[in-house]
Amino acid sequence: MNTANFTESLQLMGIGLATVFCVLLFIIFFGNVLIKLVNKFFPEEVKPTTLSSTPANNAVVDAGVAQAINAAIMKLTNGKSKANKIERL
Amino acid sequence: MGEIFEKIYGMTALGNFVENPSYIIMILLAFFLLYLGIKKEYEPLLLVPIAFGVLIANFPGGGMGVYAAVDTTVNGVLYHNAVTLSDGTIWSDANGIPYNIYEVGLPQIAHDLGIMNYLYYALIKSGLLPPIIFMGVGALTDFGPMLRNLKLAIFGAGAQFGIFAVLLVASQFFTMQEAGSLAIIGGADGPTAIFTTLKLAPHMLGPIAIAAYSYMALVPVIVPLVVKLTCSEKELKINMKEQDKKFPSKQEFKNMGVLKILFPIAVTTIVAIVVPDAVSLVGMLMFGNLIKEIGNNTSRLFNAASNGIMNAATIFLGLCVGATMTVDAFLNLKTIGIVAGGFLAFGFSIFGGILLVKVMNLFSKKKINPLIGATGLSAVPMASRVANDIALKYDSRNHVLNYCMSSNVAGVIGSAVAAGILISFLG
Repeated sequence: MNTANFTESLQLMGIGLATVFCVLLFIIFFGNVLIKLVNKFFPEEVKPTTLSSTPANNAVVDAGVAQAINAAIMKLTNGKSKANKIERL
Repeated sequence: MGEIFEKIYGMTALGNFVENPSYIIMILLAFFLLYLGIKKEYEPLLLVPIAFGVLIANFPGGGMGVYAAVDTTVNGVLYHNAVTLSDGTIWSDANGIPYNIYEVGLPQIAHDLGIMNYLYYALIKSGLLPPIIFMGVGALTDFGPMLRNLKLAIFGAGAQFGIFAVLLVASQFFTMQEAGSLAIIGGADGPTAIFTTLKLAPHMLGPIAIAAYSYMALVPVIVPLVVKLTCSEKELKINMKEQDKKFPSKQEFKNMGVLKILFPIAVTTIVAIVVPDAVSLVGMLMFGNLIKEIGNNTSRLFNAASNGIMNAATIFLGLCVGATMTVDAFLNLKTIGIVAGGFLAFGFSIFGGILLVKVMNLFSKKKINPLIGATGLSAVPMASRVANDIALKYDSRNHVLNYCMSSNVAGVIGSAVAAGILISFLG
């Protein structure tokens, strides 16, 4: 039996498991602090604007065009309808 | 006429196969791995490139196998990181002095040793690709379930038990560096296993990567096996939602969007302070997640990290790791040790998580289903899906997926931290 290796492994087991536990306990603790801070300072969910553009795809129409389309719909429906989301097909 | 046939015979790889039939074993192994990846769909995104790397590396004369850098003695003089070529000669300069591969430029590596060695030493040996893949994994990971069940994240630590338990056993048969590389298979995370092995025992990279990904693919077999051996039916019937109703959490979430943005920044900071050696993995994981959670403003980065970069990195990682599995590197007793040790590490990790749940259940009124401990190893999200299926078998209303995802995602962080510790102490 390689006693030196066994002892080193045993030490590593103690240090390793203790460190992993500590890191995750820190994450849990600071995660909870973070939740409380966010609840206090950013209480409302910031809702993404429906007409915001997604640069990765060109499917979304820019705000100016959307306004023009909306104005046309409003006029045609006498102000009863409007478009919530407009995408280029 | 005979001379022509002799030349043709010499041109083909047939002569080498006759001389050294071990090549045929490696090619058959590559076929088997391809079968597992293509037909059985075992982690095909990685197993197929790895298997194909094994295949092209083991055609003698093809020059696609990766050469290991080993300290070599020539005429009583020790040369560091020398390369022994497939014909048995040492790669040397005009004066017969062996090259140190890390002091040679990449173009010369490509010219003398072939393109696969160029890719391996530029992308893999430099440690570049595993953190890049971690960035992609981060971009595909949702920390929401973990944040909603933050306490369950501790089981991501319990499930690292297998790593250190196998280190204890493997240290009797391997060097400490080799044992550390073998043990990290228990973290059930391919990029982490590769990253650690590169730092500690790069000559064992091929077999360790294969073992790590094979066992990850076998999660649907290994998790139910360990659960069956260690958990009672009563424990597996613990319904987490009912427990939540009995003991409701006081925690409320008023703005999950902001929380998800701040969380990766906080985790990176904590890990960087406690285990700096784990930052290259955890930091990239969290960066990938951050660009996902920011949303529209970084969506181009998110798309690149989770698609183009991730896919390209996976291809090169798989092919290069496969190409390290040459006859000399794979067909030896150490490989058998890696396969056996890797299985033990995996099993012990699952058991470690279950054990921690059982211990906590002894002291807590709110009971936890041991399956949540079993998913403390990485293997996201497959381990959670498997655990959910097991829970549904015992109680068709018991959906534990969200709870399992908490410990499962924490396991990714836990295994990266464990890797950082091994690298820090043994590297």
